[in-house]
Parts: sequence; C-alpha cells; structure tokens
Amino acid sequence: MIRKALVAGGLALGISSLAVVAPAAAGDYDGVTVNVMTFTGPQIAEPLQRRAPDFEKLTGAKVNVITVPFSDLYTKLLTDWATGTNSVDAAVLAPQWMVDYVGPGYLEDLTDKVAADSALAVDDIAPFFREFSQQYNGRTYLITLDGDFQMVYYRRDLFEEAGLSAPATWDDYVAAAKALHGKDMDGDGQADYGSCIAKKRNAQSYWMITSIAASFLQSQGTSQGAFFDTGDMKPLVNNEGFSAALDVYLETTKYAPPDEINLDVGDTRSLFTTGRCALTLDWGDIGTLAIDPENSKVVDKVGAVMLPGSKKVLDRESGKLVACDAGTCPHAIDGVNRAPFAAFGGWSGGINKAADPKVKAAAYDFFSFMSQPAQSNVDVTIGITGFNPYRLSQFENKENWIKAGMSEAAAADYLGAIQASLNSPNMVLDLRIPKNQAYQQVVLDTALARLLAGEIDKQKAMAAIEEGWVELNEDNGVEDQLKFYKATLGQ
Amino acid sequence: MTATLQEVPSSRLSEWLDRQIAQLLILPTVLILLGLSIFPMLISAYLALSKFSLAPGGYELRYVGFRNFRKLLFGSQQYHFLGTFGALSWFEWLLLLAAAAAVVFGFLRYLRRGRVGVVGILGRLIAASVALGLLLLLLITLNAPGFPGSLVVTLFYVLAGVAVQFALGLGLALLCAQQIRGRNFFRVVFFVPLMVTPVGIAYAFRMLADMGKGPFAPIWQLFGLAEFAWSADPWSARLVVLIGDTWQWTPFLFLILLAAIENQPREQVEAARIDGANAWQVFRDITWPAIAPVAATVVLIRLIEAFKIIDLPNILTNGGPGIATESMTLHAFIAWRTQDLGGSAAVGYMLLFVAVISCVSFFNFVVRPARRHEA
Amino acid sequence: MTAPVESSLWRRLFEPKDLQSLAPGTKVLTYAALLGWTFVVLFPLYWLLITSFKLPVQVNDGPDYLPFVDFAPSGHAWRYVFVELGNDTLRPYLNSVVIAFASTLLAVLFGAFAAYALVRIQYRVKLGLILGFLLILAAVVVATAAFGLPWQLSLAVGVALFLLLVVTLGPRLRRAVGNEDIQFWIISNRILPPVVAVLPIYIMFQQMRLLDTHAALILTYMAVNLPIAVWILRDFFAGIPIDLEESAQIDGASKLRILFTIVLPLAKPGLAATFLLVLILAWNEYLLALFLSTADAQTMPLLVAAQNATRGPQWWYMSVLIIIMIAPVVAMTVLLQRYIARGLLIGAVKG
Repeated sequence: MIRKALVAGGLALGISSLAVVAPAAAGDYDGVTVNVMTFTGPQIAEPLQRRAPDFEKLTGAKVNVITVPFSDLYTKLLTDWATGTNSVDAAVLAPQWMVDYVGPGYLEDLTDKVAADSALAVDDIAPFFREFSQQYNGRTYLITLDGDFQMVYYRRDLFEEAGLSAPATWDDYVAAAKALHGKDMDGDGQADYGSCIAKKRNAQSYWMITSIAASFLQSQGTSQGAFFDTGDMKPLVNNEGFSAALDVYLETTKYAPPDEINLDVGDTRSLFTTGRCALTLDWGDIGTLAIDPENSKVVDKVGAVMLPGSKKVLDRESGKLVACDAGTCPHAIDGVNRAPFAAFGGWSGGINKAADPKVKAAAYDFFSFMSQPAQSNVDVTIGITGFNPYRLSQFENKENWIKAGMSEAAAADYLGAIQASLNSPNMVLDLRIPKNQAYQQVVLDTALARLLAGEIDKQKAMAAIEEGWVELNEDNGVEDQLKFYKATLGQ
Repeated sequence: MTATLQEVPSSRLSEWLDRQIAQLLILPTVLILLGLSIFPMLISAYLALSKFSLAPGGYELRYVGFRNFRKLLFGSQQYHFLGTFGALSWFEWLLLLAAAAAVVFGFLRYLRRGRVGVVGILGRLIAASVALGLLLLLLITLNAPGFPGSLVVTLFYVLAGVAVQFALGLGLALLCAQQIRGRNFFRVVFFVPLMVTPVGIAYAFRMLADMGKGPFAPIWQLFGLAEFAWSADPWSARLVVLIGDTWQWTPFLFLILLAAIENQPREQVEAARIDGANAWQVFRDITWPAIAPVAATVVLIRLIEAFKIIDLPNILTNGGPGIATESMTLHAFIAWRTQDLGGSAAVGYMLLFVAVISCVSFFNFVVRPARRHEA
Repeated sequence: MTAPVESSLWRRLFEPKDLQSLAPGTKVLTYAALLGWTFVVLFPLYWLLITSFKLPVQVNDGPDYLPFVDFAPSGHAWRYVFVELGNDTLRPYLNSVVIAFASTLLAVLFGAFAAYALVRIQYRVKLGLILGFLLILAAVVVATAAFGLPWQLSLAVGVALFLLLVVTLGPRLRRAVGNEDIQFWIISNRILPPVVAVLPIYIMFQQMRLLDTHAALILTYMAVNLPIAVWILRDFFAGIPIDLEESAQIDGASKLRILFTIVLPLAKPGLAATFLLVLILAWNEYLLALFLSTADAQTMPLLVAAQNATRGPQWWYMSVLIIIMIAPVVAMTVLLQRYIARGLLIGAVKG
C-alpha cells in the first residue's frame, strides 16, 4: 500500500509542482493579520519571515512571526490557548503536542481544507507524515513543514580507512565507536571520540534512548507502537528489550566525550561537524550543516544511515528477547529488525480554532504556501533553516541539493538514508498521548539521567520508569490513555 | 488598619490628608502586595491542592487534597524532593543527639528566663523541630547509598553560598576600607557582576567552564584534567553552580559591608591603635560590633534571594548529573513546564515553608538581637 | 621570627610607620588581593567581549585569547544583532528600558512612603482583623475558583464583609502587631518563588486584558521589588535625624510637606542607591517576563535566553546581547557612584 502511495506521489508531483498558485487571490486578505508563534532562532522562524512578504503580496495577509525561547514554546502556547487569551492565531509546533491541543479542542480540523487544496500536493508528502504525523484519529490537524526523524551519521572517511561498513545493528555501532575512539579525527593531533550522543538532562536524551530501543521493541509495523502494550497499556520499559537498549546507551558512554552527560543536541552537532566524533545520532539537520563550508570541517566526509537495528526483538508475552524470523520480524532487512524513530515528528503548522474565520483561512493558506513544493523544496536544502526533507519530490530531485553544495554522492547517500527510513513500514511514531511530556521529559528523562550519573542501577532505572508511567496512566485514566494511544497509532 | 496618631480637628483637605497620613503612606504598598503577592499566593495554595488538566475550551482544576504533598514527602517523588536515604553511622547519631541536646538546653534557658509567651514557645518549637529535621535529612541523604534531593541541594546552595559570599564580601570590604588609592575604582568594578542578567551569567560560566574550548582548557590539560568532566560528578557540578552564584552575589555583600565599615566610629579605632591594639583586636572589639546589625540585615536579604536559585543550575547542567544540581525552584519549574501545575505549586509551597521558617528564625534570633544590641 | 634580622624585616614590612598609612608589606598584599578579585570579576566579561568578535569556527576550535594576535576579530555577530535582527533587538531593548525604569520609579516612590511611615509612625494592626481579612480573601478565592462566581461579585461581597468586620468587631480586638511585624511581612513577600505566583498573575492580567503590555510588567515588577525597596529605604530614613522634622512640625508644616521638602531630599543618596539596585533586579528579570509578554512587550533577557535553540547556544550573539545589556547599567553606576557610596554610608549608620 505504501509502495502504491509512493508511485501515486511521484505522479502527483508532476502535476502539483506546476500548481504553485495560492488558492487565495491577491487582496483577498487585505487588512488581515495572522500572529504565528514559533521558537526563536533562524531554524523555523527564518523561512517563515523570509516568505511572509511574498505571501502578503500574493494575498494581502500580513503574517506576524512571534518567537519565544524553544524550551518555553509548549507552555507558552498552552497558556495562551487554555486560558482563552488567544493572542496567537497559529503556531508552528511539534506534532507530539497535538494530542494535548486536539483533545480540548484548541486546534482547527483541517481535513476538508487539505482535501480541497490541490496546490498543497498532499500526495507528494511522504506517507508517514501524511498519514500519521499530520493526523490524529483519522483527521488532519497539522500541515507538515519539516521532516523529522533520527538517523545515524558516521564519518565515511574514517570508516573506509578502518575497513568498517555503515552500522546495521546497534552492536555494529558500539563496535565501530570502540574501534575509532581515541583516534585523531580533525587533524589537530588530539584524540577524538567514537560516539557523541546528546545525553543531557532535560534536553533530548529521551529521544535518543527511544531511537536505540525502537528496534528491540517494535517489529510488527508502525501501528504496533513502541511505548505501551496496545492490549492493556502496560509500559514496554521493564523487559529484556529495553534492558538491551540501556546496555547500548551505557556502553556508548565509554567511547564518548567525558562530559557527554552534559551535552545537548546542539553540542553534539557542533562536535560532529567540527570533526571530533566518528558517530552520532541525530535528526536530519546534520546533512545540511555538514555541507556548510564556513562552519563544517567534515564537508563530504559524512555518511548517513537509517537507524541501526537488532537481530533480536521483544516478545511482549514473556518480556524476553527472541531471535528474528519471518513471524517475529516481518519487516526485517537482512535478518535485522530496523525501526526508524520519528522523534519529535517534524515542525508543523496548526491553527487556533478560536481565531477569527478570516484569520484562520489566511493562516491555512500561509502554511499551505510554505509547504508547497515550489517553496519547501528550496527551503529544505538551506542549512540555516531547520527544515528537513519530507516530500517525495525532494528525494527524486537532487538538483536543489547539489546547488546547495552537496556532492552528488553525498546527496544520494543522505537522501537515500532518509528515504529508506521514510519508506520503512516499521517506523516508530513518537509518543503522542496526553501528558506525554510528563511520561518522557520527566519520568523517562530523570531515570536516564540518574542512571548515567550512577545514582541508580539499570534494574532500578527500568523499575522507576515503569512505576512512573503506570502512575501517570492511573492518574489520567488507564482506559482513556489506551484509547488515545491507539488513536495515534491509527488502530 | 488603625494607627495611633494625635488627632487635630480640622476641616481643610490638607489637614485631612495630614490626619490620614499614617494610612495613606502605607496603603499603596499594602494594596500592591495584597493584589500581586498575597492574592496569587492564595490561588497557588488552591493550585497545590488540586490537579490541573486541559479540558474542552479551557482547563480544569480538580481538588485532590494533600496528594501533591504526600507524593513529595512519602510517594513517588520522595527521591526527587527529599532524596534517597542512606544509613547513619554511630558518629552521626551522636552528632544528631548533641544537636538535639543543644536545642533542648537553649529552650530550657529560654523558659527559665521568664517572659514566656505562647507565640514564643510555639515559634521556638517549630524552628527547633525544622532545624533538627533538616539536619537529620542532610546527614541521612549525604551518606552512601543515600542521595540528596532538591531540598538538600537547595540548602547546600543557601548555606554554603551565603557563607562563602559573606566571608569574601567582608574580606574584600575590610581590605578596601584601608588607606588605599582607587577605592572608588574597586567599588564600581566589584559591583559589576550584580548587573549581569543571571541568564547571561549562567551562559558565561558555561563558556568559562568548558574544559575543551574554554579559556582555562590549557590549564586543565597541564594538570592532566582534560578528560575530567565537572558536569559528570555531582559535587564538582554543584561547585561550579556555587562559583557562578558567588561571582554574582559577593558584590552585593561587599558593597553594603564596605559602607558599614566606613561608618565605624573612627575615633575609637584610632584610640585603640594608639593603645597598641592589633588589627584583629580592632576588628573584634570595634568594627564587628559596629557592623553587626547591617551584616545581619544584609545576610537576611541575601538568604531570601538564595533560596530562589534557578537560572544557574538550569542553564549550566539542566539540574544534572542525575538530579544532583537541581534546586527546589528548578524542581518546581520543570514540573510546571510539563503541566504538573499542582505538583509545581506543592514544591513552591514547601520552599516557602522552609524559607519562611529559616528567615523568620534568622530574623528573630540574629537580626533582632543584633539591632537591639546596637540600640 | 626568632632571628633579629628576620624580626626587623618583618617589622619593616608589616608595621606601619604611623596610624594614617599602611606598611609596605600590607600594602602589597592588599593590592594583590584586590587586583586578584578585579581579575576574577573582569575576566568573564572580557571573555564575553572577545567572544562577541569571534566567528563560530573560532569559538568551536578552542581558546583564543587576544584579538588580532590569536584570531582575527569579526563583526559578524554585531552585524547580525544590529542589522539583521535590527528592530527585533531594538524593540525588546526599548521595552526593557521603559519597563525597568517605570517599575523602579514606582517601587522606589511607594517604597519610600511606606519606609518613612514605618520609621516615624507607630502602627498597631489588630490581629483579629488580619485573620478575618485572610478568611474573607480565601472565601472569595474559593467562591470564584471552585463555585464559578463572577470575580467582580465575589470581590464586592468580600470588601463589604471586611468593612462590616472593621466597623463592628474592630474596636473590641486587643492583640495587635507592630511595625517590626509589618516590616517582616513586607519582606516575606519576596520569599515566594515566582514560579508559584506566575500563573495566577497571568490569569489576573488576562482578565484585565493587560497581557503583553508594558503595564502588566511594570505593575508586576513594582510589586516584586517593592519589599526590597521598603527594607533598604527604611534603614536610610532611620538614619536621618528627627530634629529637623520636629522643628518643621512646630512651624506648622504638614507631614506630607515635611516628607517631600525635608526627608526625601536628605535621603537622596539612599534613594539613588535603592533605585539602582531595584533597577538592576527589574532589568534582569526573566521568568515573569516570559509569561506576561508575547510579542509587543518582550524584554532583553528573553532575547538572550532565546539564543540557545536546537543548534546549540549561539555564544557570539549571546555575548553581544549581554554586553549591550550591561553597558547602560554600568554607565549609570559610574554616574551614581558618588551617591551610592554616600548613600550606603548614611543607610548603614543606623542599619
């Protein structure tokens, strides 16, 4: 089915790339101002601000981009909408937050608009984003502007030199990190590091562990889910699969910078692009950052690969790891179960239901305009934006990438890894049940931090996560949470 | 509000104003504090006793009693707030007993002195039990396999921070008060750290403490510490937070103590010098008594601010490694960011409780006697 | 120190010739310590300054200490902040100026009133009235929050009840609290962590439709800094001799007149010092600003914090912003230096 969708997407692309005319005509929105909120910094705000004047010329609507610090965006939006202040008409936000906003009815249902919007070329958007990321319970609430999922990046030059091939399993990853750790990788005569993973507390560590755990926990396709048992909402965190993932997580620390425990993804990115790490785990950003000649020392030395996998997967009945076979790992590649993790899910535009209808219409047209291939296919190749590819046409057409400074081989490699991840029927969806922040950012994140700091051991960490998640389930109603969880998985 | 003021009968407005002056002068302050401090505080009390959730078209608060507090003190957040408990050695039991004995002795002395009131007894009982409880908590969580929670970490920042800053501030002030040139230069320069926004200080110290790219990297390498990460060890991480805090707040103590020292009775100092008293004797007998009241007040103000430390641990380590550098305000802030408004308010109220008891005790047992002594 | 030679050396170094001057040894040690601390204070600032002239690559490569020698300075960060961000820097800057100055002025003014009153007037507030007030206030809050009464109505009922209480029970109550208790109550308002108070304040301003305006931030900052102002100013007023006021009173001057024409001018240095301290606190505040402002009223600390996004902290931009934030306050300190020295002097006399 996904194969078919791909073909359909490819076909649709031919037509849609011509249809760049916005549905609203010039002057339709004269005097309308749309307040769009996102976080400070060029990543998302820059393309919005850059294209807002064009949009104003096309339609007459003035787009006012409001920015707040990244870490406070979620609360800020929530306070604005939950208290009925409604000073924000639309926002570019993480799809993970969607359920918190859809449940109480803060977000506008965009299903019909998207269906009627030919310029958006929705079929060109990769199926994962179209069918899972943008949707909740079968309805579309968001418009994807950015494709986010995690991959492993490695130094192709060092790997070739050492006769290593791109890691296919987490064991390979650890072995490669071990083999390369301590070598001089940036030519300054000092020892560099095998692996850099963002493990700082209250930052991104809980996505990193999920990326590692995913292939141990989910093998039956996206709708199986990797966080809870869809039968009884039992957390999948205290079992042999998660334990194996924690082993990898702890093992990589040995081949990492000494202060890895205090590195967030911004730090690991700059370490990797300045040539100080052999391997890293990250979103799509490294692809474009690595080709920036001003700040990168690894231009054309970077390989990207879909998240490594595991030859053993969790049997949910027994809580034990079992070997992969046709039944346990139907989607295995060369006997390895791969489960790329759509961490965060990619920045997407959503509209406040309580806004004025005319403003809502203008906001929709603006997001549609931003997402249309004519605009987004250029934006995703620019390093300063945080936009990563999410449209099929962005993979087919390498021209923009080469224009942006990637070599043909690098473009093929980077886009190939993205495409392989996106095409995987076993992609893991991020946790999107109500209070997911409490599950991940508080319970999981704190337990990981304490484990790394040696405050508790592995068994205690797993027990703490399980206990915390069960408590949250009960606080919010086990049945309700299960219903939400299944809705996000399309079950 | 009633005030005793001699009343002069008159009909004119200005005299009416004059008559009501007692009320009029203090009214704005009282109203402002009631509206923007007491009122939010009461709302927060309600928040601490309820569970916040999003609901269609807005939000919903459900009353849950003391559940948020129970969670912190006895439940799943105990490790986070109080800490993980270790075992006590016989020596520490002895220490605790000695402390208890000292408290009982002080209390008896207070009773024997007469002039005993209900408020006095109650206040002393509360202060004593809180002090002993905190001491027990301190000992029990700092002992392996125990691990301190945000309450103990906050106490560490407050006690160690205020002590170090006071010592440094006083030392610098004494040096500066001597017959030296450029006193005004030092006064202005030493004042500067107070002007930097705490967020900015935290980032500046993150840059400085970077052992690979920071300015001191060559020194670390010289000592073979390049592979050491301060952020991975609980005590070194707390130390870095403390250094940042000290950098910012020493000037505050310095400046006010310097002013106080400059005001000590000069004739007495000179007379003592002529009599052959050495520097230490002058300090002990003249300077210290003269500046004690100011010192007590300024320490109280600093104490109040110190309990609220958040920006430094938040930006330097995000509270890590583990929960080693997490202060109570940061604890509340993190809970708050993830919509646990009830839990956040509960932490805030615990902080309020501890801080009020500490500050009231300090005020009653240190500031008041110091001022009375002077009068 | 047994050998006579050593002893005389020791004496030469550390014993002053006369009472007015320092011995050379003491002098050297004193200057060494003071200059040492000067280095501790200035080095982080120096590092910020040179970081603002570095390229990202230079920052990431490791320490470079001297511009032109170790690295070629670049104005890219300054250009970004002033040209590319342009209005996005200017607007928060102006907001910060307006909000900090206005809130500080108000806090110092009201603080001066209250502090003066606390020094010169003996208050006796009936304990029963305070308790009654708190009970009524709690009832108002519960009625509004839990039972959904409109806040205007419950507030009106509350005020009426309280007035009734004052008139009927007020005169009969005995136990009262004095000035020291009031003072302590005022400062204790500073103990509450802002995290706990920020949501109620947010909702309050939302109801008044004041969110994201200067007014909301000015009022809030005034309120959080008022206790500090009262406390410091109280000490200053206590140091002003009462004789002047008494003679003015005998001449028939009203209290207000005395306050404005005699006391406040005399306390000018104290007012300046307090003003500066409160200004600094308001200028640097982050958390409350984060919630009470959205776009129009954003202040500088938000802009600084925002330089840390998903690409890691942008040290170079951050440095520029911190420097331009410190600059005006440093300038003011240098200008007010004279007053601060004298001001704290007077205040400290009677601590």
